[in-house]
Amino acid sequence: MSVNPDAVDAAFFDELRRHYSDDEIVELGAFIGFNLGYHTFFGTLKFYPLFLPDGRLVSQAESEKFYGAAPVSLGKAEAAE
Amino acid sequence: MTYIAPLPKEAIADPELRGLMAEAEALGVPDDLFPRILARAPEQAVPLMRALIMSHAQGNVDHRLKEIMRILLARFANDKYFASLRSAKARAMGLTEQRIDEGCFAYEDDAKGFSAAEKCALRYADLMFLDANQLDKSFYDEMKRYWSEAQIMELGAFIAFHYGMQMFMRSLGAVPLA
Repeated sequence: MSVNPDAVDAAFFDELRRHYSDDEIVELGAFIGFNLGYHTFFGTLKFYPLFLPDGRLVSQAESEKFYGAAPVSLGKAEAAE
Repeated sequence: MTYIAPLPKEAIADPELRGLMAEAEALGVPDDLFPRILARAPEQAVPLMRALIMSHAQGNVDHRLKEIMRILLARFANDKYFASLRSAKARAMGLTEQRIDEGCFAYEDDAKGFSAAEKCALRYADLMFLDANQLDKSFYDEMKRYWSEAQIMELGAFIAFHYGMQMFMRSLGAVPLA
């Protein structure tokens, strides 16, 4: 829907229906649309989570270092603990 | 015909959703198709419909400007459904098709008479999904010359939400009912 919306065609919906009901597809589609819009907007505002994965409350500058341009994978952070 | 069939209107019993559908019918955006599809996910239908109407028709930014921004976004999203709908409220406030086209395609042209604040807001909508990297600190500094931070949040959330729903309706192959 975001990268190549033209690929979301009748054949794609046929495939979706093999796994999901029409009601579930609507739920997923609206969820994707909502997130597609808001995450782009939030990205322009340059704000970052208040907490690090270990639960520490940090400043936005510290949070940006962790989650910013080259974010550390949460999986790697957990593995390092 | 959309890829997912909308529910029949009479199958929607939730009074809150029916109230929002009546509100939208009076506004003209959206028509019944959007809520009848959304009604398949009833937990989402009411909050999404309320957010769609509220962000468009209420708030502290001129509704005519937001109507132009909404159509600009729908055209960019290649969403025939929302791009074809028009706000009766904006029309009653004097917004014409010519002004909508000027706002979508020529708002930077000084001869079209858009104010610096309107140009900046239209640029905000234009760039959000074209090149969000341009919406940097200097862009927000310029926005703050014309708009309060509350208005900027109102505009940003409006842009994000409507574009997301437009991409959703595009994916379904939706066109207006009328």
